[in-house]
Amino acid sequence: MITFEHVTKRYGERLALDGVSWHMDEGECVVFAGSSGSGKTTLLRLITHEIAPTSGTVTVGTFRGPRLPRAKRALLRRTLGIVYEDFRLLNDRSVFENVALAVRITGHFADAEVVPRTLYALEEVGLQQKQAVYPWELSAGEKQRAAIARAIVNRPAVVLADEPTGALEPSSARDVIALLRKIHAEGAALVMVTTRQDVAESLGGRILRLEDGRLPGAGPDAPPPSPYAPAGYPPAESGPAPPGVGL
Amino acid sequence: MHLYYLREAWRSFRQHKGLAVSATISICAALLLCGVFLLLTWNAQRAVSVIGDRREMVVYLRDEVTPAQLDAMMARLTELFGTATYVSKEQAWDEFQQQIGDPALLQAVDQNPLPASLRVRLRPELLNFTAMEQAAKQVAEFPEVEDVRFGGEWVRRLDEMQSTLAHGALAVGIVVALAILLVLHNTIRLTVLARRREVEIMTRLGASDRFIATPFIIEAVAQALVAALVALGLLLALQLLAVAQVVQVGFLPPSWIALFVGATGFLAWAAASLATARVLRSAGP
Repeated sequence: MITFEHVTKRYGERLALDGVSWHMDEGECVVFAGSSGSGKTTLLRLITHEIAPTSGTVTVGTFRGPRLPRAKRALLRRTLGIVYEDFRLLNDRSVFENVALAVRITGHFADAEVVPRTLYALEEVGLQQKQAVYPWELSAGEKQRAAIARAIVNRPAVVLADEPTGALEPSSARDVIALLRKIHAEGAALVMVTTRQDVAESLGGRILRLEDGRLPGAGPDAPPPSPYAPAGYPPAESGPAPPGVGL
Repeated sequence: MHLYYLREAWRSFRQHKGLAVSATISICAALLLCGVFLLLTWNAQRAVSVIGDRREMVVYLRDEVTPAQLDAMMARLTELFGTATYVSKEQAWDEFQQQIGDPALLQAVDQNPLPASLRVRLRPELLNFTAMEQAAKQVAEFPEVEDVRFGGEWVRRLDEMQSTLAHGALAVGIVVALAILLVLHNTIRLTVLARRREVEIMTRLGASDRFIATPFIIEAVAQALVAALVALGLLLALQLLAVAQVVQVGFLPPSWIALFVGATGFLAWAAASLATARVLRSAGP
């Protein structure tokens, strides 16, 4: 589903990722743990094709290549659900409108279908009662739940979470982790990056440690793990994948 | 989905009212200038076409032309150049007398010196100096013809006036079109940049350029159409003012109004499409 083959990313002189190779299958849960500047966010941005690798190849589902054209990049992102540390909600729209936006963006659903899908996603994250309020009226935990609702509303095959508990106090962080576990249990693959070991462990997936842009044990010359036999990692618990716009 | 785009365009307008209103006023001013020129051109063209209708070629005939020759020639002229009307020597003399008015002045003339003639009302495509001159030369070679007159200098001046007006309208049209493109391009660019964060989030969520750009394009076209309608309203007020001052000025015909509004809408669409395409290429991750 997602494969990195000897991926290196440089920002000018700075080396952010150094020959990283890894693979994850459908429904799997992978957590990248590491300190700030270890290359975690770069890794997520490579998956979403916000940036192109300096060398190597990133494959996400059927999307493969160093730099996808704009239209294909948009298509790829529509198959992913993304949760950011700073929520990235639109402050001039209600919670409902923020979540509905992701549905409209797919272009697959008529106006009549947008409402039930959005309400269902809000119900899943427990925000149905707050659908009419604006993001600035929500607590940090509620904002993150709204962002998660937006990420899962299209039933993506993969949810990417960039330090989703980074801006939350402990009880909200626990709620968010529980929500992500639930999403994963329902069949979505999950890729999370975090600086916190406890958060990484609490999600219960495969933990890969990034150190200075490297995955220890997978140097620049190491071959990428086989997409078909990810030895050493237990498959994630997964139920039947719900219908959506997944990869 | 269409309702969504309209709502988004309205949201964008409300969020950047100042920018949108100032752009609309700028476009309205440019369109009003263009409209004034169109109004002048339209009225001048109307006047020229009225005068043009009176443009005719007078073919003076030799005295010895027989009725059979006359019939043949009339048929030929009608076929080649337009409707020919025969004016006999007597009719010509009567007309001349009416024009002179005072019979005493004509007492010294013993006999009718005026030739019979054919007045040819030319077909519309021949109502220009070059075509008329060529037609006159051809007709002058007929053996039955004594002379041909078509008011060459006058026709030439009419043609020049029409041409000047057409070129003027084109020049003003181009300047106004460029002004509209520039104003809307910059307005939409600023609007998109002001909503850069929103655009970035949408791009990250997988929104296509079309999805992001459509509300901005709708907003630009709506601004331009409002500006065009206001400009037309002001133009109508100017025309009524001119009529009140006893100047016979007609308003633009519906086809010109439709073209004016349509061209403005098209320019707005082009400017907004160009602006959003450029900004999105640089803004989106």
